Amino acid sequence: MTTDVPTSPGAVTVSRGRTGRGRGRRRYQPREVAWAYAFVAPAIVLFAVMGVYTLFWGLQLSFVQWNGLTPTWLWVGLRNYTDLLWASPVFSPPVRAAALNTVWVMIAAPLLTVVISFPLALALNRARRFVGLLRSVYFVPYITTGIAVYLAWQYVLEPNGAINTLLGALGLGSLSQPQGWLGNPDTALPTLIVIMVWSAVPVATLLYLTGLQTIDPALTEAAQIDGASWWRVNLSVVWPLLRGITAVIVLLNLRDALQGFQIFLIMTDGGPGDHTNVLGLQTYRLAFQSELAPTLGLASALGWMLFVAAVLVAFVHLRVTRERR
Amino acid sequence: MNRYLPRSARTCLALATILALTGAVTACGPGGGGDSSSGDNLTMWTFKQSHVAALQKAAESFKQKTGVGVTVEAITPDDAFIARVQAAAQTRSLPDIFEVHTNGDDFTFGAAGLLEDLTEEATWTDRYLPSVAAEGTVTERYYKQSQEKGAKSAGIKLNQRFSVPLTIGTFGIVYANKERLTAAGVTESPKTWEDFVAALEAVRRARPQDGGLSIGFQAPTTGMEWLMQPMAYGKLGKAGFAGLFSNDPARNWTSANGRSVLESYHQVTPYWMPGTQTLTIDDADLAFAQGRSSFVVGGTFTLAFLSQNGMNPENIVTFPVPSPRGGTVPELSLAPFALTGLSVSATTKNKDGAVKWLEHLAQTDVASQFAKDALDVPPVNLGDDPTGTLGPVLGAMIGSFGSGVEAYNPGDTTHQPPSYDAAVVARSLMELTPLKKADVPTAAAGLQKIIDGYWAGK
Repeated sequence: MTTDVPTSPGAVTVSRGRTGRGRGRRRYQPREVAWAYAFVAPAIVLFAVMGVYTLFWGLQLSFVQWNGLTPTWLWVGLRNYTDLLWASPVFSPPVRAAALNTVWVMIAAPLLTVVISFPLALALNRARRFVGLLRSVYFVPYITTGIAVYLAWQYVLEPNGAINTLLGALGLGSLSQPQGWLGNPDTALPTLIVIMVWSAVPVATLLYLTGLQTIDPALTEAAQIDGASWWRVNLSVVWPLLRGITAVIVLLNLRDALQGFQIFLIMTDGGPGDHTNVLGLQTYRLAFQSELAPTLGLASALGWMLFVAAVLVAFVHLRVTRERR
Repeated sequence: MNRYLPRSARTCLALATILALTGAVTACGPGGGGDSSSGDNLTMWTFKQSHVAALQKAAESFKQKTGVGVTVEAITPDDAFIARVQAAAQTRSLPDIFEVHTNGDDFTFGAAGLLEDLTEEATWTDRYLPSVAAEGTVTERYYKQSQEKGAKSAGIKLNQRFSVPLTIGTFGIVYANKERLTAAGVTESPKTWEDFVAALEAVRRARPQDGGLSIGFQAPTTGMEWLMQPMAYGKLGKAGFAGLFSNDPARNWTSANGRSVLESYHQVTPYWMPGTQTLTIDDADLAFAQGRSSFVVGGTFTLAFLSQNGMNPENIVTFPVPSPRGGTVPELSLAPFALTGLSVSATTKNKDGAVKWLEHLAQTDVASQFAKDALDVPPVNLGDDPTGTLGPVLGAMIGSFGSGVEAYNPGDTTHQPPSYDAAVVARSLMELTPLKKADVPTAAAGLQKIIDGYWAGK
């Protein structure tokens, strides 16, 4: 059933679908229209308050200097944006450093997730015994991901933690990190990326598994009859058929990498020093960790820049994948 | 679908929808969070969980005396507290009383019109120690600071009082494991920075695994404000120390003085406990209490935490961060300042009751009991023998406070540029130590670049 946009209140016309009782249009009575509006009103009001108003208010905030307390704010125009990008020696250097870290996360996290989850899904799809158990085991990181798991990882990664102990026991003590994996500025960010990937692989694997089960076995059998090896079948037949799922996985991970900061806040708070600060965390810091300095506008401006970046990334990614199809 | 419902059912459904919507909108409005109070019950917000039980105990005696109850709510951590106040300020659902960081939050909240000016009402301030009695008042220096471009407290007026002290103390106190110090041959508390470094070296040599110094660098200001700044004050004196934060190249971090301070600070680099750069303040204290480190730097408030976590106070040696040999202030001591204070909300419906609650907490017996319950130092003057009233631990801490120009006062921030964010500066300093990613000249240039930005008002 499709509903036309009403030209005036009380003049709503509804064209019935093909399964309806008739193809003709019927005019609703004003009272019926009023009822319709009454039932739709809560959703519209909630969206107007929680959605439109918040968006507009947030956008307005990005052009002002304010600490969230004073009854008035100072209009600064685009200065928040220029300060974050280049103009301020205080605010732009951490943003640039955080942007660089974010870019690394955006490259590494989706790539590693795909590289690990696709072969894992292929292997799980071939498994004939303990299928349910194996799939449950690989899904555990997803259902346990959260603050508790991040704290558990901290213990594993500290100087006397399980990883350093294990490396020592294996005679690989030279690879251990005396300051802990999160304490060394050179290993902290890669370690966090690995944990992000660990958290993302289960869903990606599940998506790939779903995709694999929709592929017509005749396609792979035909390739095998033509003499293609297992690798060749998966790379030249299966992988292209799952390109759409790969696009979704990459897009989800890009979004997480660009806007998510939970793991960075909980595990390192951007440290050591500023070596794992990312743009999402920098936004949080400007909003809530600046000791009531009037930086809420800067936080909002950075949030909007992240939004634009996310839209651009999604647009470019979708264009690229569509062209390949 | 509604066409298939009976008229009465439709009416009821529409009414229910409207009521639900009204309820939702009301819940979003002022007072919806249940924070408003009636006249005979006050609401108080604090960011210190350890103060809740002690305040509630004090509230019981207050209710017996006045008939006014006080509901105390802890909102932690500090970020959450600030965010809650920001939200409540917009929805006009503030509590009646706040616990605030003195000469910080109180001035910012006051400048925003969220607090009552207590100048007339606070008539009991002679009960406080003279050195902290005026804390929470806009003195000439804080007023001048508020006039700077970008100041957080812009709008406050001279002589306004936005809070009265609740707890006092200081930071820059080194806690050392007495047994380990003695076993390493260190029998006296270090008197100079060099002695301190030598003690670190001796204990580390004796105990390579757990002989280090811990500090909660996940809050990066700890290293800078608790360890380096007292040492810098001792080395350069008050004027030289203030010069470090100026934009004068002859006196700031890039000067000979600045580099000299950084070189001294860098001497502790080999002695950090492994992984200290990832620890929170509580984690660092726990590491010391559990024996994973042999030194920790903290404040007066640290002792209570160590004691609560199983550290025997008799096995602790404490001393203020010492001055380097040949420093301008050789006998460095630490001045107490008001750590937290009490403020009355401008939206309270019972200002009289709120002020009486503040006065109640300043009574000697109530303040003493609060101090013992919260294991914190009270601002009230307890006479020459605080030990008799508060017990040996808190009493000894009060006895160690200094005053005058020989005492470093961490609460004095008048040398800082407007909008100064210590966390940003301290993160830059971490590149020198403990991260070892920058040498002294690079670290000095990095610090100064940020501070120059604040002076430029960016």
